[in-house]
Amino acid sequence: MTESTQPNTQSSQGFIRTFRALVVVGIVLGLAFWVYQNAVTPESKNPFKLGLDLAGGSHLVYEADVSKIDSAEVPELMNVLRDVIERRVNVFGVSEPIVQVESSSFVTDEPVQRLVVELPGVTDVSEAVAEIGRTPLLEFKLYDAELAAQQETLQNLETLTQNATGSKAEIGNVTINGEAISQELPFKDTGLTGRYLETATLEFAGGNSGQLSNEPLVSVRFTAEGADLFADITRNNVNRQLGIFLDGELLSAPNINEPITGGTAVISGGFTADEAKELAQNLSFGALPVPIELQSTQTVGASLGAEVLGKGMEAGLYGLGLVLLFMVLWYRLPGLVAGVALLSYVTIMLALFQLIPVTLTAAGLAGFVLSLGMAVDANVLVFERMKEEFAKGVSSREAASVGFSRAWSAIRDGNITSLLSAIILFWFGTSLVKGFALVFGVGVIISMLTALVVTRTLLMTLPETKKDSQTLMATLFGNGLKK
Amino acid sequence: MAGSALIIGTLGLNLGIDFTGGSLTEVSYQTAPEKTELENRINEQDLGGISVRESVDEAGRDAYLIRTRDLSEAERLELEESVTSLGEAGEVSRFTSIGPVIGQELKDKALYAILGVVLIIVIYVAFAFRGIGTPVSSWTYGAITIFVLVHDVLVPTALMSVLGYVAGIEVDVLFVMALLAVLGYSVNDTIVVFDRVRENLMANRTETRTKREEAGIMLEDVEYTLTKPYPEIVGAAVSETLARSINTSLTTFVALVALYFLGGAVTQTFALVLMAGVLAGTYSSICIASPLVVAYAQHRAKKADELK
Repeated sequence: MTESTQPNTQSSQGFIRTFRALVVVGIVLGLAFWVYQNAVTPESKNPFKLGLDLAGGSHLVYEADVSKIDSAEVPELMNVLRDVIERRVNVFGVSEPIVQVESSSFVTDEPVQRLVVELPGVTDVSEAVAEIGRTPLLEFKLYDAELAAQQETLQNLETLTQNATGSKAEIGNVTINGEAISQELPFKDTGLTGRYLETATLEFAGGNSGQLSNEPLVSVRFTAEGADLFADITRNNVNRQLGIFLDGELLSAPNINEPITGGTAVISGGFTADEAKELAQNLSFGALPVPIELQSTQTVGASLGAEVLGKGMEAGLYGLGLVLLFMVLWYRLPGLVAGVALLSYVTIMLALFQLIPVTLTAAGLAGFVLSLGMAVDANVLVFERMKEEFAKGVSSREAASVGFSRAWSAIRDGNITSLLSAIILFWFGTSLVKGFALVFGVGVIISMLTALVVTRTLLMTLPETKKDSQTLMATLFGNGLKK
Repeated sequence: MAGSALIIGTLGLNLGIDFTGGSLTEVSYQTAPEKTELENRINEQDLGGISVRESVDEAGRDAYLIRTRDLSEAERLELEESVTSLGEAGEVSRFTSIGPVIGQELKDKALYAILGVVLIIVIYVAFAFRGIGTPVSSWTYGAITIFVLVHDVLVPTALMSVLGYVAGIEVDVLFVMALLAVLGYSVNDTIVVFDRVRENLMANRTETRTKREEAGIMLEDVEYTLTKPYPEIVGAAVSETLARSINTSLTTFVALVALYFLGGAVTQTFALVLMAGVLAGTYSSICIASPLVVAYAQHRAKKADELK
C-alpha cells in the first residue's frame, strides 16, 4: 500500500511546488506590467513622482516670524499661512505645486517655522517670488498712548539739546524701568490679523461721515471668530485709535467711536482706484497671518533634470545587468533564481514608488542603484550555506532548506539594524534625507521578502539532485569554486 | 585608521553651502568666457568673498560653479544678468541659495542622525548577541562593531577630505547620506561574521550545570567550556563567511561602478564615497573586527591568570 501511494504524493507535492512557483512568478509579472502601464500612460492615476531636481523647477523656503505668537497657536496659524500661499500659488497656474509647513527639529536652539514651496516646471523663480510676495500682511494694532508719550518726551529732549548745543544730538538708549523705549511706531498688537478675513471688496466712500466723496476704499468682512475679536477690541477701547497696517506700514488709524459688532471694517489710505482694487483682490485670496521671509531658493533647469534622470536610469539598468551577470556566473542555477528574485525586488520597489507615492530624486535614484547590489546579500548568505551543505552530499532541496534556516539569524540581525537606522534617519532627517531613508527602509524589507519568498519557492521547485550524481543538474547547482 | 584621522584633521573638510549657508550658481555656456573675466565681472557686484570653479554640466557644456554668500532675490537677478552677459549663450542651469540658519540646522541634524544610528546599533548588537557569554560579553561585540564603524566612516571621509583639498569638491547632504549607507553596510558585514562566531561557539561548547542553594532559593549556575580554542572558532567563522563577504561587496561594488560612470555628475561623488566605504567595510569586517575580539579575549584571559 505504501508503495502505491508514495509516487502519488510525490508527484502531487511536485505539482504543488510548481504551482506555487508559477503563482509567484505570475504575480511579479502582473505587477511589472502594471508598473509599466502606469509609467507610460500619460493620464495614469499612479505615475512616478519626480522630484524637482529631476523634473526641473523651483524650491523656495520661507521662514515665518512667529515670535509674537502664542506657541500653542502656532500650528494652526502655520496651516492658515499654508492655505493662503497655496491659493496664491494656484493663481500662478503651476501644475501640482507643493506647499508644506516644516518646523525645525529639536536639535536647534530656537524653534523656527518654515514654509516650503515647490513649483515644478517653474524655473523663472523671480516671477514666482514676486507673486508670492504680493500676498499682503494685514494687521490691526491699537495706538499705544504711553509709548507715544515716551517717544515724544525723547523727541523733545533731543530738540532741547539741539537748541542748547546748536548741533544735532541723538539720544540713543533711554530706559524706563529697565526697558528701552521702542523706536517703532507706538502701536500694540491686538492679535487681529489677516487670518480672520473672509472677503475684501472695493467700495467708494459715499461722502458722509466726513470722508472724502468717492474715495476708493477697501471694505473687509471678518470671519465669525474675527468679528467677535473685532467687537471685543472696539468695545474695550472706545475713543482710542486703531491702526491698520499693510505689510508693516501704517495705512490709517481711525478713531474707535463706538463698539463695532457687525464684523466689517473699512480700510482707507489714500488709494487710487486701481490700488484699492488690487488690494481688495489680494486680500480676497488671503492675507498673511504672520510675516514671512525668503530663506533659500533652489532652481534646476528642466533640461538638466531630464539629463540627470536619464543618466540615473541608465546607471540603474547597467548596475542591474552587472549584478545579474555576476550572480549567474558565480552561483549558476541558484544564481539565476536569485536574479529572478532581484527582478521581483525591482518590480515591487517601482510599484511602491508609484503607490505610496515616493518622490524620486537624484539621491533617491542613487540609493536605489546602491540597493540593487545590497539586495542580493540575503541570497548570497543563503547560497553560501546551501553550498556547504550540498558539498557534504546532502540533496539539493534539503541543502536549500538548511541554508535558509541557518542563514536566517544573520539576515535577521543585519536587516533589523538597517531598518532601525532607516527609522532614525526618517525621524531626524530633512525632506531630502527622509526620501532616502524611506527608499532605504522599504528596500530592506522588500529585499528580505523577495529573498525569502521568491528565491525559496523557486529553489524548491527545481528538480532534486545530489552532488555525487554527476549530472548536468548537479553541475548547475554547484558554484564557481571547484572543490 | 590613524592615517585617515590625521588627513581629516590636517586638511579638514570642504563644507558645502548645504551646511554653511550661501549660494551656488551653475552657469553653462556654448562658449565659456575666461575664468578671470568672469570673476572680475562678479566682483563688480560686491558680494564679498566669491569662488569660481570650472566644471562641466550634465549636457556636457562648459560651465562654472560660482559660490557666494546667500543672496537676496534682487542680488540673484543681478548676478544672473552679469554672468550670462559674458561668453556665448550663457544660461543659469542651477541655482541654490541657503540661509545660514538652515545650514547650521542641517549640520546639527546630520550629526545627531549619525550619533543616533551608532547608538541604536550598539544597543541592538549587544541585545542580539546576549547570552553569547563565554569568553567575552555581548557588549564587547557591540563595542567592536562601533569601532569598526568608525573605521569604515573615517576612510571615505578622509578620501573626501583629500578630494576637497585637491579638487575643491564640497561636502553636501548627499555625502552624509553616503556615510549613513556605509554605516548600514558596515554593520551588516560585521554582524554576519559575528553571527557565524556565535553559531560556532554554540556548536563547540559543553555545558556544566551546578545547583546550589542560597537563602532558601535554588540557583542554577551554567558554565560553558569551549571544546576548541576561541581564536580557532573565530578564525573558522571568518573563513566560512569570506566568500559571502567578498561576493556581496562585489555585487554592491559593480552597482556603484555603474552609478559612478553612468549616473551623472550629481551622484558621482556619492558613488565614489560609497565605493571607498564598501572596500573599507569589507576589509574591516574580515581583518579588523575578528582579530580585535580575539585580542580582547586573550587580554582578558591573561588578566584573569594574573589575578589567580
